[in-house]
Amino acid sequence: MIQDKSLDPRTKLIIVISISSLSVFIQDLRYLIIILAIAILVSKILGSEIFTVLKKLRRMLGVFIAMIIVQSLFIKGGNPLIMIGKFTLLTDIGIFRASEFLLRISIILVSATILMTSTSREILQGLVEWKIPYEIAFMVSVAIRFLPLLGEELQDTLTAIQLRGIDMDKLSIKEKIKLYSHIFTPVVAGAIVKSQRLSIAMECRGFRAYNKRTSYIKLKMNTKDYLISTASIITSIFIAYIYLT
Amino acid sequence: MTYIEAKNIDFAYPKRKKVINDISLKIYKKDITTIIGHNGGGKTTLGKLLAGILKPIDGDVFICGNNTKDMSLGQVGKKIGYLFQNPSRQIFTTNVCEELLFLSKLGGKESTEGYGEMERLLNFFELWEKKDEFTFNLSYGEKQRLALAAILMNKPEFLILDEPTTGLDKLRKTRLSRYLTRLEEEGVGMIIISHDLDFVKAHASRRIEIARGEIINDTR
Repeated sequence: MIQDKSLDPRTKLIIVISISSLSVFIQDLRYLIIILAIAILVSKILGSEIFTVLKKLRRMLGVFIAMIIVQSLFIKGGNPLIMIGKFTLLTDIGIFRASEFLLRISIILVSATILMTSTSREILQGLVEWKIPYEIAFMVSVAIRFLPLLGEELQDTLTAIQLRGIDMDKLSIKEKIKLYSHIFTPVVAGAIVKSQRLSIAMECRGFRAYNKRTSYIKLKMNTKDYLISTASIITSIFIAYIYLT
Repeated sequence: MTYIEAKNIDFAYPKRKKVINDISLKIYKKDITTIIGHNGGGKTTLGKLLAGILKPIDGDVFICGNNTKDMSLGQVGKKIGYLFQNPSRQIFTTNVCEELLFLSKLGGKESTEGYGEMERLLNFFELWEKKDEFTFNLSYGEKQRLALAAILMNKPEFLILDEPTTGLDKLRKTRLSRYLTRLEEEGVGMIIISHDLDFVKAHASRRIEIARGEIINDTR
């Protein structure tokens, strides 16, 4: 088994980009199932905690299911499966597109867990050494770092709302929707305020004071990294080629 | 009568060491109990366990005889008002008035009585002038007062206040002190988690000191 720390973050980025690009490009269910299987296999080999991450995302399940239903309802091509009077509710293409969407989301989520086996600082360094401007790379790393904090804030706000004596289970759907708008408002406003403060703090500490930056962390691709990166790119091109022909 | 009871509770955050070690205590409504101790000693965690926000990994917490493991946060909220250390996280409306009328608006039960109570609380906490302001534009101290006013709108039987004096100037501290005394006279029980020893001295009928997740002193 390949040890997580022995792989360069850039290699992981190449793997993730290859897998997720394929999932966006390909529109065949059989291929998408194979890509998902590959993504799961690679993630497990690299030691990522896929199931822990997916477990954390179970609260989003409702949103995914709603999106799948909406997808299948609004696609009108194909043979009707469920009709109410003259109104077609569900078609076979609708179901096909919804499954495609579900597989695509799963592939992207599973492949993203590969990046979680490196620290955000390592990923940032990987991007910088790819000559991506430090400001943009830093922005990406800050976004990654702040995601769990946003989750924590959402949870705290939800707790505070419930502590006002609101039983979530007893609310009607209308009241729940109204309530959720209250949960997102302080979190989004808090994120804006926090980003403003962070930018001021960074400027105060001399961020972008000099044109050239030196770095304590240096990354080095070894033979294994080159082999895996090349294999990822070739496999992706090969799958895309078979799909197109 | 025991209002909150903790029986041999342990608690640890995921993948971290225990922060609460085998604590047992009874909290009475007639007391104003203060929890004091150094940073990282477990004061806030203990407060959240006693309020049923966190559930112990071992042992049980009972609020009015009901195990918090069987209570929803909504049920807890009907009995206990909890003031968080960071008030920003418990203010969730965009407008000061709305924050206090949130519950009645959500249930579609706006009443003149509710408006009267809102006016009284906003005046008391000197927020009436700011009643139409965006909550995000308030200062830390104003947010603290607003969060407290919003909790009191609910008329809780018991209050748990985590660092209620942070960000308050001397005058506002005195006013808060006066208000808490009035609540105490009305029979509202209280736990105050604080670093502010003068404030603690002024109110506490019982002082619990904790360090490294254990009670090291419990005096009346």
